[in-house]
Amino acid sequence: MDLDDALKTYIIESRELLEQMEDALLRIEQAQDDPEIINAIFRAAHTIKGSAGLFGLEYIVAFTHVAESVLDKVRSNELRIDPELVALLLESRDHIGTLVEHAAQGDEPDADSDRQGAGLIARLNTYLGNPTGETTAQGGMPVEHAPQIEREETHSVATDNWHISLRFGNDTLRNGMDPLSFVRYLNTFGRIIQIVTVVEAVPPLSQLDAESCHLGFEISFQTEADKATIEGAFEFVRDDCLVYIMPPHSKVAEYLDLIRDLPEEEMKLGEMLVKCGTLTRDELAKALQKQVEEQRPIGEVLLEDKIVRPEVVAAALDRQKQVKDSKSTESSLIRVDAEKLDQLINLIGELTIASAGTALVAQRAGISELQEAASTLSRLVEEVRDSALTLRMVQIGATFNRFQRVVRDVSKELGKDIELVISGAETELDKTVVEKIGDPLTHLVRNSMDHGIESAEVRIANGKPARGTLRLNAYHDSGSIVIEVGDDGGGLKKDKILQKAIERGLVAPDANLSDKEIFNLIFEAGFSTADTVSNLSGRGVGMDVVRRNINALRGSIDIESVQGQGTTMRIRLPLTLAIIDGFLVGVGSSSFVIPLDMVVECIELSDEDRRAGEERNYLSLRGQVLPYMRLRDTFDIRGDTVRRENVVVVQYGNARAGLVVDALQGEFQTVIKPMGRIFSHVNGIGGSTILGSGEVALILDVPRLVQLVSTQAEKSGLELA
Amino acid sequence: MAQQETSKIATAQFAIEGEMTIYRAAELKQVILPHIDHANVIEIDLSKVSEIDSSGLQLLIAAKLEASIRDKQLHFVGHSKPVLELLDLCDLGGFFGDQVVIFPHGTH
Amino acid sequence: MAKTILVVDDSASLRQVVSIALKGAGYDVIEACDGKDALTKLTGQKIHLIISDVNMPNMDGITFVKEAKQKAEYKFTPVIMLTTEAGEDKKQAGQAAGAKAWVVKPFQPAQMLTAVSKLVLP
Repeated sequence: MDLDDALKTYIIESRELLEQMEDALLRIEQAQDDPEIINAIFRAAHTIKGSAGLFGLEYIVAFTHVAESVLDKVRSNELRIDPELVALLLESRDHIGTLVEHAAQGDEPDADSDRQGAGLIARLNTYLGNPTGETTAQGGMPVEHAPQIEREETHSVATDNWHISLRFGNDTLRNGMDPLSFVRYLNTFGRIIQIVTVVEAVPPLSQLDAESCHLGFEISFQTEADKATIEGAFEFVRDDCLVYIMPPHSKVAEYLDLIRDLPEEEMKLGEMLVKCGTLTRDELAKALQKQVEEQRPIGEVLLEDKIVRPEVVAAALDRQKQVKDSKSTESSLIRVDAEKLDQLINLIGELTIASAGTALVAQRAGISELQEAASTLSRLVEEVRDSALTLRMVQIGATFNRFQRVVRDVSKELGKDIELVISGAETELDKTVVEKIGDPLTHLVRNSMDHGIESAEVRIANGKPARGTLRLNAYHDSGSIVIEVGDDGGGLKKDKILQKAIERGLVAPDANLSDKEIFNLIFEAGFSTADTVSNLSGRGVGMDVVRRNINALRGSIDIESVQGQGTTMRIRLPLTLAIIDGFLVGVGSSSFVIPLDMVVECIELSDEDRRAGEERNYLSLRGQVLPYMRLRDTFDIRGDTVRRENVVVVQYGNARAGLVVDALQGEFQTVIKPMGRIFSHVNGIGGSTILGSGEVALILDVPRLVQLVSTQAEKSGLELA
Repeated sequence: MAQQETSKIATAQFAIEGEMTIYRAAELKQVILPHIDHANVIEIDLSKVSEIDSSGLQLLIAAKLEASIRDKQLHFVGHSKPVLELLDLCDLGGFFGDQVVIFPHGTH
Repeated sequence: MAKTILVVDDSASLRQVVSIALKGAGYDVIEACDGKDALTKLTGQKIHLIISDVNMPNMDGITFVKEAKQKAEYKFTPVIMLTTEAGEDKKQAGQAAGAKAWVVKPFQPAQMLTAVSKLVLP
């Protein structure tokens, strides 16, 4: 492990913290004064700053420090959170993000970043009552400036060395501090010329509390370092120890003060100083003489002393409220490389296939014990698979929460007042799906805000509340996850869409389209209904891209809209992209897999229906009309037909369709392999898999097939069940 | 810690072994004190002291003081390397009046 | 024999950097990600110094130090707490728990080494 690895860890850590910070900032307006949330924000900034210092990333430390100072004021209730401050903190958070990315790239912030940073600092400083742009000293040890010592040649002592007087507090040893370790430390930046161990305070053994400290030292010390550095050596014991540091050539009078203040008898101490070489005998005599002349009471002396104890200042400055410890519910989490997880899932996929193969062989062999063992194996593999898949499951909440920010920013940009309502945040789905759904969702959200929700005036005129509502919702539904983006806006205007579609030549002027089809037109390439192309939606990414992205995830999107009341876009996605429970069917010599969760039932195709199928492509299922297609025709499969065909009834969303196949081969677990380039253009195939027998089976893209069947049926004028 | 005692009535000889640190300070006090109580001449062998800190130093000083107040003789002998280093650091070789090898100054 | 230092912080990057610096200076390092984890690492071996963050999940640094000091083997182990400059109250609580030395975040690795060597030279 080296520093580069540590830096990588830092970057990942910081990104996570920034995300938490954003979440918390977005929640804070609703949860005014929740100290937990405020502390979470503070802690994130603090940790980022803290670790940045370690890497010498001064630009992160410097900027984050100012943001942190403002947060600290919020934490101590000196500042109140208001929307303006939240906005500023969000911007600051973004800026920290930019800086972290600079660190990730290994470069320094560019002029743009610097400018932006300076602007933010200026704004942050107004909250700190520090408009000059000066920030307080950032972190580090409190450094005390060496007091200016006047030098009066006539009364200065001759030595070139510092003199250090130490008397350690009784608890020093109990606190785990070894007085001698500080003495040893002095040797790391200077040289002890002479040391006198002050043993006067040590009692005889019978009266000694062996854990109490009674030691002291008089040290003559030679160093190039300044007073602050020397003082720093004793920073950890300063609070309960006497530490006096006399610079070289201090005035004799100052030594006199020292002698007065130390607990030992004056003559004895004087002797020690002489022994240290700090004072000459003459100087000592002069000092003691002076004392007699002045007759000043002992103790008054140090009040005018230049030895200021920094912690007093620090204590005075520091009136911060205690941070409540974050009662974080973080349990012990392990960070795992996503790639490793993918590899595991892949292997489990292979294991699933192998297990299916074993079951097949066992069945053929007809040995009941083997069959039993194989079925136990299958069951276990299934459990392993399920738990492995849950490893990749994440809640959609984090993704949803990101939209707080989008909604906030975009409503500001549009001058609309829009509230985001999130539900179903705890709904879980595969991480790979989550990663890919962000962009389409963003587009839908922006689209709803831009085109869906009306301006406040229009809303009020229509008797709606001025504040628009955007809803994000998620739930599980028959093996899919459904994500809804809803608004309480004006709804889609059918006639307008149709008119535009005709203008653009997307549909024939005389086309007879259902509501759904009209709505779906907005997903066609090059379609835009906005009267004015706004900054947001006019960015060149159309709704067609949204649909394409969703289709690529084996998902689908449909629209529900009531004019004047609002629109809901409903995305339906598979829970996972990796493995499906399939239903294996045969057509000719080919095998197909239908995702099991879409299979409703299987029926035999009656002779009557089969004959009727020559003219029409629907059958009657318990009095309901069911459009169907023959896979044999759809995929152009040659070979002998069978006498009895079967219909697999599939459902996707609200639409049902029948798929006519030769043979039903039963349930089957399978891993989806990505389709090769060759098949990517084949309509209705979603992937492929390898059977236990080693044969390849194609996985049907049921949503697509259902759509095909429905379209055909609608064309022939059927009102679908 | 094992101290071997070869005591006549007037003389106590024993060794302190292992650490002379704060963790054992209270214990060592109780080891040393009875010897001072019971003998007039006490010789403490420090050759097996593996580590010594300020609390150990303080024990040595306090023991010496205790003996001198009670008009007894207490000597430390066979100072181990850690003990010598410590006495050198504090320039305390003279305090004990024992024969110790003094390291030349300026070696720390 | 190298001196052993226990480093307790929930930031993995901080632990890594501090650990690199300390090892480079000749110390042995044991890492723990929070107070609870740190307690499990105290198994009676000699620890010459503990460096601990305050604000951590599961068990904060102050509780950890309090508990560590209950163990005879660590009763006198010096502790450096990592703190914010704005944490006077914490500092007092920490002092009461037995943590007398403090280093303010952010710090450079060299600053940490300096603080450590005041208490324990390698």
